Amino acid sequence: MQIRQLLIKPWVWWLLLLLTLLISVSVGSVSPPIDQLFNPDSITYSIVWQLRLPRAFNAMLVGGSLALAGLLIQNLVKNPLADPYLLGVSGGAASFQLLVIMLGLSLSAEVLFLVGFAGSLLATLVVLKLSYHGRIKPNKVTLNGVVMAFGFAAIISFMLSLADGQQIRSMMFWLMGDLSFAQPSWLMVLLLALCYFLLRRQHTALDLLARGELFARKSGVHAERLNLMVFIMTALLTSMAVAQAGTIGFVGLIIPHIVRLLVGYQHRHLLSVTMLAGALFLLVADTLARTVLSPIQLPVGIFTALVGVPVFLMLSRKI
Amino acid sequence: MLLADQVSVTLDNRPVLKRLDCQFQAGEFWGIIGQNGAGKSTLLQCLAGLLDPDVGQVLVDDENIHQLDPLSRAQKVAYLMQEQEPSLAFTVYQAVEMGRYPWPDNPDNRQRITEQTLRDCRIEALQNRSILQLSGGERRKVEIATCLAQNSDYLLLDEPFNHLDVVYQRFLVKKLQTLSHDKTVVMVCHDIDVVAKYCSHVLMLLGDDCYLSGDSATMLNKANLEELFDESQ
Repeated sequence: MQIRQLLIKPWVWWLLLLLTLLISVSVGSVSPPIDQLFNPDSITYSIVWQLRLPRAFNAMLVGGSLALAGLLIQNLVKNPLADPYLLGVSGGAASFQLLVIMLGLSLSAEVLFLVGFAGSLLATLVVLKLSYHGRIKPNKVTLNGVVMAFGFAAIISFMLSLADGQQIRSMMFWLMGDLSFAQPSWLMVLLLALCYFLLRRQHTALDLLARGELFARKSGVHAERLNLMVFIMTALLTSMAVAQAGTIGFVGLIIPHIVRLLVGYQHRHLLSVTMLAGALFLLVADTLARTVLSPIQLPVGIFTALVGVPVFLMLSRKI
Repeated sequence: MLLADQVSVTLDNRPVLKRLDCQFQAGEFWGIIGQNGAGKSTLLQCLAGLLDPDVGQVLVDDENIHQLDPLSRAQKVAYLMQEQEPSLAFTVYQAVEMGRYPWPDNPDNRQRITEQTLRDCRIEALQNRSILQLSGGERRKVEIATCLAQNSDYLLLDEPFNHLDVVYQRFLVKKLQTLSHDKTVVMVCHDIDVVAKYCSHVLMLLGDDCYLSGDSATMLNKANLEELFDESQ
């Protein structure tokens, strides 16, 4: 009970995040001497300020977005196994981005980001179109999303089987999630903040929606509108995250579950804590990914799954 | 006044209700009776503004209920579902507090009303328990309390006595009777004795698009009851 009182306070999570950030930027293949930190000509300066810090910010942004999106989609489709990739977002983004990598067109981060974003939005629109009959039908979202994901998986396998050795390596890396590539985007900060504040105003309505659509409607929630808002936000947050860093699994699935067990079921607390816990989780996972076999960098998706799977299996006995 | 005006509903190509007219006034306690599948729950959902009739309309205080925004609708009408789907592990207190959603309370007021409702419904001892750990009857009490916390003029209850023990059934029906002095209470109920004893009015869905309504003392006569319990339907 004591612990729960502490964990519902966002500042506790901000503090944890800050501490982890400090640890994260100071570990790696090179340990930066502290006196060189503000000398712009030193290697330390560029490692910390130009490589590790942007990457850490990237991890936090992507982690926070995916966790928040996971909380939303689980509420929308009322399925504890739902994760943000259910909307076909990841498959859409990955297919488009792999195509670009394969054709060797352009590998600048901005272009790849835009291509992925376009791909994921397109996939989401198809799922939305198929699941929308006057209003969103959540059970159809689940079904259509899963089927779409299978379709994209086939396309991705097809491209992998055609690609040559050099390409396969970068493609696999992308498929498992890679935070080293892109710079943290201000657009994403803005989107995450906007979603958070809009959702914060609806936190009671989200509680009611979690108890069922009919329950929410009879209690006075404009459930059709809220469902649509939740769908669009999930799609945008996930699309951004995937376009930025590839498909990093398990953050969106397990963080909402863990946070529910920690702070209860009210969105008053869930929204902020889920976002911050997602940021923390991915920051830790990414720090592990680049330090465990240093100087070799591993895809972060391996670590989210390696940490996420056992934790989820342990918790799933309680859910 | 809650008014069903020529309400017709078709679900999956099956006509469930056809041109039903009925008026529910303040100070009345209505029982809706009829065999399974007669359209009792469908009618209640229409009256609650949760189901749009194909033909006809439902008027609440002279306004079409489907043109009200959801918040003002919930301020006027509270609806108890027949069966609430299992959900997340909110506490009993949190669940009852959800009934206050339509009203712009300040936090103190909200807490006061929620606590008062918990006491009124005799479930204050449960308030910190998770709703998933309750028995079926206890959960029903919480759902009823959530509706009562909503404090709306019209109370529509779909089989409120499901899962409740006899003591609480009697307590509840008397409470509903008291509430109906200044509100309109409409309940779907299979217990004819309860309807006969406590309800002031009754609406009978007899099948073949035959609906009878009126004050319960005159309506619950031998001929009508024989029709209601006709086994050939």
